[in-house]
Amino acid sequence: MNESDTAAWGAVLIILVMFLLPIIWIVALYPAEPYHAVGGEPLRDAAQAAGIKVVSATDSTWPVAGATGGKTYTLSNENGNLYTVQSQSFDSAGSRDAAIQLYNAQSVGRGRPVGKLFIIGNHLVYVTPYTSEILKRIAPELQKLKTT
Amino acid sequence: MSEDSVSSKKTGPAPQKLLGIFALAMINVAAVLSIRNFPSMAMYGWECIGWYIIGTILFLIPLSLAGAELATMLADKGGGVYAWCKEAFGEKGGFIAIFCEWSNNLVWFPTVLAFIASTLAFAISPELGSNPIYLFVVMMIAFWGTTAIAYFGENVSSKFQNYGVILGSIIPSILIIGLGVYWVVSGGAIVLPPFSLSEIVPTFDLSTLPFFATVILLFAGMEMAGFHALETRNPSTDYPKAMAISAVIIFFCTVMATLSIAFVIPADQLNLAAGVMQAIEYFFTALGIPGAIAPMAVLITIGGVVSLAAWLIGPALGLGVVAQEGNMPPLFNRTNKYGSPVAVLFIQALIGTFISLLYVFLPSVNQAYWILSAMTVELLCIVYLLVFAALIKLRYSKPDAPRPFKIPGGMAGIWLIGGMGAFGVVFAFIVGLMPTGDFSSSEAVSYVAGVLLGTFLLAVPPLIFLKMKKPSWIETSIKEG
Repeated sequence: MNESDTAAWGAVLIILVMFLLPIIWIVALYPAEPYHAVGGEPLRDAAQAAGIKVVSATDSTWPVAGATGGKTYTLSNENGNLYTVQSQSFDSAGSRDAAIQLYNAQSVGRGRPVGKLFIIGNHLVYVTPYTSEILKRIAPELQKLKTT
Repeated sequence: MSEDSVSSKKTGPAPQKLLGIFALAMINVAAVLSIRNFPSMAMYGWECIGWYIIGTILFLIPLSLAGAELATMLADKGGGVYAWCKEAFGEKGGFIAIFCEWSNNLVWFPTVLAFIASTLAFAISPELGSNPIYLFVVMMIAFWGTTAIAYFGENVSSKFQNYGVILGSIIPSILIIGLGVYWVVSGGAIVLPPFSLSEIVPTFDLSTLPFFATVILLFAGMEMAGFHALETRNPSTDYPKAMAISAVIIFFCTVMATLSIAFVIPADQLNLAAGVMQAIEYFFTALGIPGAIAPMAVLITIGGVVSLAAWLIGPALGLGVVAQEGNMPPLFNRTNKYGSPVAVLFIQALIGTFISLLYVFLPSVNQAYWILSAMTVELLCIVYLLVFAALIKLRYSKPDAPRPFKIPGGMAGIWLIGGMGAFGVVFAFIVGLMPTGDFSSSEAVSYVAGVLLGTFLLAVPPLIFLKMKKPSWIETSIKEG
């Protein structure tokens, strides 16, 4: 291997490291969410703790493997604005994670998903859009449920 | 291989002029027309028409016209967006543009591969969709299989895309449209409210900003045919026609098929869980033809593979041209007897495989993937911003260069078209930096800094390559086979 080849391979190595660095960094920064049973209705609990009114809740089961049921909630803030938020429980970590992968794989065009999935143990909470004011308010309460 | 053993400046055989209007148009259709968009868009009911019109005005039309002008002006230069941006901003600008397009693909590949695998699972057994081993095996077969098709050059890959896009994208779209028409004609209940012009006007507020940004990039990929300029028979006449044909097919199929789904499936059924196959299942069951679900799954899988092929081959060809021009180490400069950039394809496949491994086997990396997908949006916006900027700049720096297709309206026309496109992608870039609502203020700052830093790291390798560039790189030619 001559000097030029060494430089070329060095360049390739640098590029690979630079390329993979952000990917590995992000994956390390945001580790896997543990799967554990969370009883009751975490979304209702979080909404009520955040002072948000639950206007209605209807049963719904997402048509994905391993979904064991959940609810679609209509929430209302102090100004009377209505938000639809969903929650679904899963029978295993695998089925929960597969649902996340399916969701990420269905994003429109080359953009990123417009909604956000929030993991609470065996539940997925879905809020759209990801900038939603309601998500800002219930997220801290959902975060607390993760640790209880 | 030692430098002394190399004599020629160019690598591989001269490209064959294989592609005509139809083949070029199908490359764009393969890259852009995606059935997986339809259910998500159908949720918006009549309003989806307004959103599609916005995407068309702010992106589809500007990019199609920009591509037509730049590709015909630079018909003798390979590399697509690389050649266009290089002509305007020099090697650095061109290299950054093509590298951003290539690197954003690498993070996007796992999602389209997962889509292919989960859609195919519907034809076999839907439960397979949650089996990571199944997912990974199918993803790798699709990924390396498509890479193998690219290996055999333009002749094989263009035939694959021509047949594949008809089978996997156009026929399923027409089928959905036809069944929607049948539903209406046969007296099926239309779940949408009665049509009025006010119904199609989109709602603009803070809550629709993310969707607005998504819609702008809905038609990303219209530049894909430009990567095949050197293989085009009559680029100056064929390219603009191909752009027009592909834009019409994409717009017609997208709008009509989305409306067909919106007519039949209530919006509350088109929720998060409504992946395309779940929507198709509902659609076909409502129409009384559940037996058509599995064959449709196979067709849509083919459409996913063809879309993957378009995005996998085009930017790799562009990066291959960069390597041939001596801007990358000779390692990247390998082409085979079919004229395919095998080194780029192989490195691309290796990195894509690694990221796919993370995607499938690292459990619930929800937040991580979210941030990575934000970076891919930013990278794509950089590409398109450079393209629109190149369009405008070249009218000033090379006003007299022959342009077989010229955007009408003189400088006002070019500023209008380029300006609309640039506005759209800058807007999408800014929205791409918006953190999700669950971040605290300090997390939000970290998020924005992280996305910008990550985007920088994924975009900056060209600057390192150019810094390290040696005269010997351009002289080295490695020909395989």
